[in-house]
Amino acid sequence: MAKPRPVGGIDPTRRVRPNARKILAMRIDEIYQYDGLVGDPANVTELHDMRIAFKRLRYLIEIFGDAFEADLVPYLDQVKAMQDLLGDIHDCDVQVPMLGEHLAWLERQETESVERMLTSPRRARTPDDPEIALARFKSRLDTARRADERPGIHTLMAMRRAQRIALYNQFTHEWRRLKHARFRQRLEHALGLG
Amino acid sequence: MARAWDVNGLAPNAGFRDAAGRIVLTRWREMLSYRDGTLVGDDIEELHAMRVSSRRLRAAMDAFADVFPAASFRRYLREVKRITDTLGDARDLDVAIEHLTILLPEVDGVDRPGIEGLIDRYEQQRRAEDARIRALVDRLEQERFADRFEAWVHKHTGIDVATLAPAPPAGA
Repeated sequence: MAKPRPVGGIDPTRRVRPNARKILAMRIDEIYQYDGLVGDPANVTELHDMRIAFKRLRYLIEIFGDAFEADLVPYLDQVKAMQDLLGDIHDCDVQVPMLGEHLAWLERQETESVERMLTSPRRARTPDDPEIALARFKSRLDTARRADERPGIHTLMAMRRAQRIALYNQFTHEWRRLKHARFRQRLEHALGLG
Repeated sequence: MARAWDVNGLAPNAGFRDAAGRIVLTRWREMLSYRDGTLVGDDIEELHAMRVSSRRLRAAMDAFADVFPAASFRRYLREVKRITDTLGDARDLDVAIEHLTILLPEVDGVDRPGIEGLIDRYEQQRRAEDARIRALVDRLEQERFADRFEAWVHKHTGIDVATLAPAPPAGA
């Protein structure tokens, strides 16, 4: 996660507004530094960092909003919407590897169960009839195996991947729309920046 | 999501230091108000509200960092971050369990054992998180963290929590 850049020139003895302007200007700039990087859906880290940058700005507008005369609620709503959208993308980016890890965990569980079954003292009591012995072995093997759990996990992975594509398309559309609507310039104007 | 508590006595033209004390202490008490409900664990929204409040507190501390001495600020922020992170791990599992439970009736029969198995695993992990949360809260109480935190904010902002009297919004 990218650390926030330090803001110079903050004077705690002054009022909120002049200090808030400096902090907000820096955090707005931090969002836009990802502009050229989030055009590639494979840039998972940059998309995540942009979400964090939106989150920081959102909380700052909530904290400092009362110090400004302009109504910042519409800007806050836009920032929150972008944070949520990028958050949903991040959830998909996190969950797909987690589901992959779960599949690997299932395999380890299965291996351990089968090994336990094969080394169990119960094997010493194998019936003389080979057909009965085979049927019991198959039954115990079926219990030890967890193969029936895999299809659901693969389905979840496929769902998450499809969702990720749709969310990313929605994000690029929204990001283009914000830039086209000169969101940054309007927000900076509302805050009395520049 | 739980509504943020109003900050008593915060004027639009407030001084930076004064605003820091009022906002940080309000978010602090807001977070603490969900502690008991989180420990009881009957309602996952209590933990969610405590986590959201802890994030608001962190954001407020970050915003007003220049009001506090750097070394002690880092120590207190680290502890607040630990609270957020500990609650976050539990919250992520709550969300995942809830999502999968809602999804379950909609999926094909062949997919159900896998999703049920995943819910079981997440529920086991979630029970372990309860113990981590309890251990963190116990340690903070043992170290009288709340008293020290409130005294630290008072010392550097002049705002006393008893006088400020943060309270939930009416009807909350």
